[in-house]
Amino acid sequence: MEPFEIALSLPVVAPLLDVVKELADGLKQTLAAPPVLPESDSVFRDLWTQELLAAQNEDLAALLALFNEEFFTEGVVALGPSNAEAIARACSAIRLRLRERYLVPLGDEALEIGEVELDSLDAPTRKAFMCYLFLATIQEYIIQHLDESIIGS
Amino acid sequence: MADTKTHTLPSQHTAPRLQLESTWRVVVLNDPVNLMSYVVLIFKKVFGFDETTARRHMLEVHEQGRSVVWSGLREKAEAYTFTLQQWHLTAVLESDGAI
Repeated sequence: MEPFEIALSLPVVAPLLDVVKELADGLKQTLAAPPVLPESDSVFRDLWTQELLAAQNEDLAALLALFNEEFFTEGVVALGPSNAEAIARACSAIRLRLRERYLVPLGDEALEIGEVELDSLDAPTRKAFMCYLFLATIQEYIIQHLDESIIGS
Repeated sequence: MADTKTHTLPSQHTAPRLQLESTWRVVVLNDPVNLMSYVVLIFKKVFGFDETTARRHMLEVHEQGRSVVWSGLREKAEAYTFTLQQWHLTAVLESDGAI
């Protein structure tokens, strides 16, 4: 895939990064989606979980690194072969945690179709939902570029 | 394009030989969070599905709650399940007679 940039609205996105950072910190020790394993061997289960957790932490670090000095001065984030997949996965992890932590009361159907009355939400839930949508948008950009590279390969 | 990071579990922790000879299914379950386009992309990337096949499995997950995306030997099924879980899909392993 070719490197690409996304121009973001700094005043809109910057306040959401507190939520991203808070949830990323919480995901250092726990998986966004705990695996269901048929294996009863606890050593096997622990290894599996630890490997997933290590991968999840690498992905979250890539996502947080996106919001560097260039973002805070230019409002631009840079993606490419070295970070796009990790960031897509990290967005998924944070979105799963956002739902679990803040958005369950909205109902899964409303979340799936994105039909939520923003004005009816309290401030923390509104911020969480905005963050949920923002990360989905980042994913959509990445998916579009990764898809083209898969088709082109 | 960057390679998918697949963390393969050490071989000494894979299942006994008797289980390796059984057929295992990799099943993806529905979740309300991951985007349909994200799921399609993962299926294409992980399994090499074409667009039609990937979308068919994604819709099966979405509408029926689950889709069997691969079946075969346990070791490979474990690797696929692990990779899908790295992408935060709800993927489970099922053996013959598990349902």
